[in-house]
Amino acid sequence: MNTIYKIVALVGVSVLTTSCFNKERPNYQFMPNMYESVAYETYSEVPTTVFENGKEGQLPAEGSIPRGYEPEAYPDTPEGLELAKVNQKSPLAESDKNLEKGKELYTIYCSVCHGAKGDGKGNLVKKEKFLGVPDYKDRELTEGGIYHVITYGLNSMGSHSNQLSQHERWLVTDYVLKLKSE
Amino acid sequence: MSSHYEAPIRKPLVIGEKTYHDITVDVARPVEGRANKLWWRVFAIALIAFLWGVGSMAYTVGTGIGTWGLNKTVGWAWDITNFVWWVGIGHAGTLISAVLLLFRQKWRMAINRSAEAMTIFSVVQAGLFPIIHMGRPWLGYWVLPLPNQFGSLWVNFNSPLLWDVFAISTYLSVSLVFWWTGLLPDFAMLRDRAITPFTKRVYSILSFGWSGRAKDWQRFEEVSLVLAGLATPLVLSVHTIVSFDFATSVIPGWHTTILPPYFVAGAIFSGFAMVTTLLIIMRKVSNLEAYITIQHIELMNIIVMITGSIVGVAYITELWVAWYSGVEYEQYAFLNRATGPYWWSYWLMMTCNVISPQVMWFKKIRTNIMASFIISLIVNVGMWFERFVIIVTSLHRDYLPSSWTMFQPTFVDAGIYIGTIGFFFVLFLLYSRSFPVIAQAEVKTILKSSGEYYKKERDSKENHQSLNH
Repeated sequence: MNTIYKIVALVGVSVLTTSCFNKERPNYQFMPNMYESVAYETYSEVPTTVFENGKEGQLPAEGSIPRGYEPEAYPDTPEGLELAKVNQKSPLAESDKNLEKGKELYTIYCSVCHGAKGDGKGNLVKKEKFLGVPDYKDRELTEGGIYHVITYGLNSMGSHSNQLSQHERWLVTDYVLKLKSE
Repeated sequence: MSSHYEAPIRKPLVIGEKTYHDITVDVARPVEGRANKLWWRVFAIALIAFLWGVGSMAYTVGTGIGTWGLNKTVGWAWDITNFVWWVGIGHAGTLISAVLLLFRQKWRMAINRSAEAMTIFSVVQAGLFPIIHMGRPWLGYWVLPLPNQFGSLWVNFNSPLLWDVFAISTYLSVSLVFWWTGLLPDFAMLRDRAITPFTKRVYSILSFGWSGRAKDWQRFEEVSLVLAGLATPLVLSVHTIVSFDFATSVIPGWHTTILPPYFVAGAIFSGFAMVTTLLIIMRKVSNLEAYITIQHIELMNIIVMITGSIVGVAYITELWVAWYSGVEYEQYAFLNRATGPYWWSYWLMMTCNVISPQVMWFKKIRTNIMASFIISLIVNVGMWFERFVIIVTSLHRDYLPSSWTMFQPTFVDAGIYIGTIGFFFVLFLLYSRSFPVIAQAEVKTILKSSGEYYKKERDSKENHQSLNH
């Protein structure tokens, strides 16, 4: 009998001590000494007394150029696109070209609309989320033009310069040309 | 009695015509009586000191270690000084109850109970310092190798600070058990004499139903002997481990192999001095002069003298080795102790620890209660400074002259130290009014062999017999 009381008491205590955790909220913390960052962390909220919009990520000064980056040679205009189509050439040396990498990037960022073969039959098109994605083979494509479109977007397509670095865009460009040639 | 042989040279350990009942009454009197005004006054002072210490500790933990006088060079000062000092004081208790038991020293029986109480209470004080000197004491439980959710992250067993944890906690628990088993027959005595239901109840619980049967006594003796056998290596290892905090370092002045035995000798030295201080007062205020005799004080003084001499030899050894080593850092460390900015603490330590126990060679002084009392206090001051000198003078000037600095304690450092002294006396004063301060069950075993009255009886009988021949 005594043992049963002890077991019941033990279970009761365990239930009591563990039942205060609410799944909807962060759990209780014991002495959170260095849990919260003193420095502003990326994407964190900042008091509006520090930055007006309350965001940690502030825009750089216009016209500033970070090390290792070259400003785009052609502007985001229809004329810019035309000029790029004719004049812009890939800066990648033969040894820098990497179709494998280009395929990986294409699979991640492009194939959902353009299709794995570049035939305009991506998953979203097949499910008729939207229509009007052209087949690469139907278009006049030059490497400068592809790069310009990835960088700035065209019609329904948005800019991918946020996702892909300049180097990566050239890798994708190469892969798109390969798809078109097949 | 006729078969009993006791050398006539031995002096009596129980003075007067005491019977078994007299011992019971004398031991129970402070517990059964009411505290007088003096007790309350001293208790109030101790309590205030304790509360002041609690405030200082709370301030330290709440505000930070920066409230102390430590700096980047001297990271250990009063905290560890006091820690080692209190641990050292505690060692005499175990020495008296364990080592002297192994050596069959009958005179330990009148003093072992209070000495063990002193051990427990001073180890409690010592145990405070490793916690409050932590920067984040609330994570103190991380020193224990417990399975956990950090991938079962464990402690590194290479640090003497971790060994300290095991040493001190084992020491406290073993001492507590040893003390308590010895208390069982005495609590039973108080239980059987209790008049009020409340005291009856309290001492019934404390005495664990001791009924004093032959089998119980037989096992009691065996347990005492085994615990004494365990406590003796423990008492040596605990202060050895404490000394490893310094001896295993690379600091000139710390890195010496002599530290373990020298610390243990110092611990016995300061511990016995503290026992002397306490018992000289206790025999007076609790009317226990018949049990804690001048012979007890003399024997404790002799131990103080011996261990004081060992400590003195250790000091000379350190100085010799520093000179002999040819290591200029080591040589400078000792030059700095003797002539640096803390020269006064070094010479105070030397005077208190090396010179003062040497006066015990004079029988007149070591059998003088007042002189013993004063010297016992001096020894404890000296031993505090020994730890202070070892810790601070080695740290404040070591390898890089650009890191040389000074240490100055703040009132918080002092407040915590005063607080632990207050806490010690709060515990000791409460103990002396609620516990049997003399192991009456043990004293009763030596009454007939070492009691003054029985010795006289025996002497006169022997004289009578020799006259007849």
